[in-house]
This record gives sequence, structure tokens and C-alpha cells, in this order.
Amino acid sequence: MKEKKWSFIPWLIPIAFVGAWQLVTQFQIVSTQLVPAPLTVLKSFYQLVISGDLLYHLEGSLGRAFIGLLIGGGVGFILGITNGLSKFSFLFTDTSLQMVRNVPNLALVPLVIIWFGIDEGAKIFLVAIGVMFPIYINTLHGIRNIDPGYIEMGRMYGLKGFKLFKEILLPGALPSIFVGLRYSLGVMWMTLIVAETIATTRGVGYLATTAQQFMQSDIIIITIILYALFGKLADLLARFGEKKALRWHKAY
Amino acid sequence: MVVTARPITPVKSKSGVEITLQQVVKKFGEKTVLKEISLTIERGEFLVIVGKSGSGKSTLLRLTAGLDQPSSGTIQFDGLSPKEAKTNVRMMYQDSRLLPWKKVIQNVGIGLAGDWETKAAHTLEQVGLSDFKDQWPSNLSGGQQQRVALARALVNNPDLLLFDEPLSALDALTRLDMQNLIEQLWLEKGFTAMLVTHDVQEAVKLGDRIILIEDGVVALDIRNDAKRPRGFDDEQLTKLEKQILARIMQNHE
Repeated sequence: MKEKKWSFIPWLIPIAFVGAWQLVTQFQIVSTQLVPAPLTVLKSFYQLVISGDLLYHLEGSLGRAFIGLLIGGGVGFILGITNGLSKFSFLFTDTSLQMVRNVPNLALVPLVIIWFGIDEGAKIFLVAIGVMFPIYINTLHGIRNIDPGYIEMGRMYGLKGFKLFKEILLPGALPSIFVGLRYSLGVMWMTLIVAETIATTRGVGYLATTAQQFMQSDIIIITIILYALFGKLADLLARFGEKKALRWHKAY
Repeated sequence: MVVTARPITPVKSKSGVEITLQQVVKKFGEKTVLKEISLTIERGEFLVIVGKSGSGKSTLLRLTAGLDQPSSGTIQFDGLSPKEAKTNVRMMYQDSRLLPWKKVIQNVGIGLAGDWETKAAHTLEQVGLSDFKDQWPSNLSGGQQQRVALARALVNNPDLLLFDEPLSALDALTRLDMQNLIEQLWLEKGFTAMLVTHDVQEAVKLGDRIILIEDGVVALDIRNDAKRPRGFDDEQLTKLEKQILARIMQNHE
């Protein structure tokens, strides 16, 4: 009961913020060109939705995010598993991977533009590189930290090769892999935001850059809110998957 | 939880395997842990290995399991090398090593092919844990977890079952319960058993034969023909227990 009574507390600051925002614009304390009124933002949002522009640009962004995550995540996962299982593979590739990892992926932007042009390929490449490393490191860590007692037991009880992987190694590494996935989702959005401001004709980032050229601050604010919403949504999805897959784990 | 005694029909030597160790030596670097151990364990025999920590008793078990290779000497199952013999060997450890991401019944059925679920359910019934088959291992007590581990070891009807101090982490009452259960299932199934323990009372309760490993050699090798199933207040057992304890402590002074 008591908790219910206080449940409005977390919303006080956001509500006050929007209220102050409305007042500041209403009394023209700052130029509405720089800071549009909340109502104006809502109206523009509505316009974007019914014109179909929003869907078009969102599709573009989500497509890149998804494909980049799939490719980068897949490569990171496979490398993590291979290097976790094979000492040779680890010695052979890990040092190089660590060197590449320490290059901020956005530093590659100029090079990527020369290589891929300003095509879809460039953006997907940047996202893929960004998400690969968190997944690689956490998968590797997950495989390495499996209690060797489980593996010894599995071998003794007749598990070999792929079965050993499926029954023991993968489930044992899964909690750590999920940590990597959630982290890489953050990297994915960040990379995408920057990549989409380079040169595009589609995507949420494109929407923001063109709005900047025409001084449409309301649209810019909408794109920022969109990123926040989708970031949160992706995290929620990952958490949901985590909960489903790790029901056995005490922490979930 | 008390295990109710069921009628016991010994089927000795139907399954089980004869194990022969010949001059088995194990060195870890400079240190010789086992010095020329020669031993024959009969088909269906319950051998208990006692000794102080670091005496090499667990090493002997791991060599028999094939988890380590002897530095020299041979181990044979029914006169064949372990590779040729294809003996069905299972092991129980001090920790249950149940996979936390599998339900109890899936843990019991691990590595089984075909109709694993029926077999696993049947074996779980034998250890008295049918009601727990859909639980996560983390919801079970330590004793229950070891029962599940016992079921997992038994489900495939092993010829040889190796016990590496499986009861040492349990409380005293649960331990007595588990000893009864192990004895009962061993009598029913007739596998060859090797148990490593530092609990001499447990050794005389379960063993047909008790060997003491000291400084890498067999320092004592005693037969124990007390009637089964064995109680805990058997005079013969108590006498034997004192005798072995005295021998262990003798070198201690």
C-alpha cells in the first residue's frame, strides 16, 4: 500500500521538466526556433507518422542494426568459442584481435568510406565491428570459466564433440554471453547514430542531419527520443531472452 | 529421509568387471605418488581405499578411471586394456557435479541414447527422488544432490563404479542413509565398486576388502566378510574399525 502511494515519485522530475519546457517556450524566454514547445514536437511526430516518413527511416535504421548485429555478433561468438576451446587458435588470433579491439571503431569511418563508399555496406560494417568485440570477449570468458569438473564428468559419462558442447559448454557460457550481448546492443546504437550522420538518404540519423540543415529542432528532438526508446527496447528484449534462457540460474 | 529396505536379491558376478593393476607407478614431476601398486579386484567386489590426505588414494582411483595415465605399469579390465575392454565405468565425486542448467531428470539421463526418460525416471525411483524429477538441482539439499548423482552413475548399469569421497561433504545422518543406499544398490546390481574415503567406519560398513594406502604403497589389505546388509553396531565391524584405525595412527606417532 505504502509503495503504491509513493509510486508517482520517480515521475516528478520528468513531469516538472516537461512543464518547465512548455513554460519557457510559451513565454518566449528562448527562441522557439532553438527550443520548440513540447506540443510542437508532438505535432511534428504525428506528421512524421502519418506521412509514413518515420516508418521508412526506422526500417532503414533497424535493418542496419539487425544485420550488423547478426554478422558482428556471429563472428564474435564463433571466435569466442573457437578461442575458448583451442589453445592454438587463441595464441594465433587473440593478440591481433585485442589490437583491433583497442581501435575505437568510429576511427575507422574515413577508411570505411573509402572502401565501401557511402553505401549500406559501410554502416553495416561499422556496426558489425563494434558489436563483435563485446560478444567475443564475453563468450571467451564464459567458455574459459566453466568448471572443469563438469567437463570431466561429461567425458566420463560419454559426452563427446558436439554433444559435449551442446550439453555443457554452451549452457555454461550462456550467462556470460548474454552480458556481452547486452553490452554490444549499446555499442550498436551508438555506432549507428554516428554512421547514419555520415552520408545517407535513409535512417533516423539521416532524419536528424537534414533537420539540422533546416533548423527543425523539433525533428532532432524526436530522433533523440527514438534512439532512447529503441535502446531501451533492445535491452528489454535481451533481458527477456536472458530470463527465459537462464531460468536455472539463481540470479534470474 | 530414511531409505526403506527392499528385499535384496544378490546377483553378484552377472555384471561387474575384474580389475588388475600391475606395478602401477604414478609420478607428478619429481614426486612419486604411487610406488608399484599391484592389486587384483574381483568381479563384483566392493573395495574400499583408505588413507590420509595426500597418500595417493584418489590418484589410484583416477588412474583406474582413465582420467590420468600411469607413469609405468598396466591396468587391465577382465584381462584387456581399458581401450579394448570398453568397460562401462562411472564415477561419483565429492561434489555432485550436477549440471545446474538441467532439471534433475535430465541430469540423470545425461549421455543416454534412446528412451532415456524412462530409464532415468526408474533410477530416480530407486534412490527415492521421483518427486524431484522436474526440479532444478539448486533447489535440492546436498544429500539429495548426491542421490541424484548416484542415480546418474547407476542409470547405465555400470560394470565399475568409482566413488571419490562422495559422502564426505554430507552431514552425519545423511551419510549413514547414503551408505545404506549404496550398499543396497550394489547388492542388487552387482557392479564392481571402488570407494575412496577417510572415514574408517564407512570403510568397514561398505567394503568387502579394505586397503590402506600409505606413502604410495599398500600398507594394509584386509578382507571383511561381515554379513550384509550391515548395521552400524555390528561387533565384528567395530573391532575391525579399531584395528584399522590403530594401524593408521601407528605411523603417526
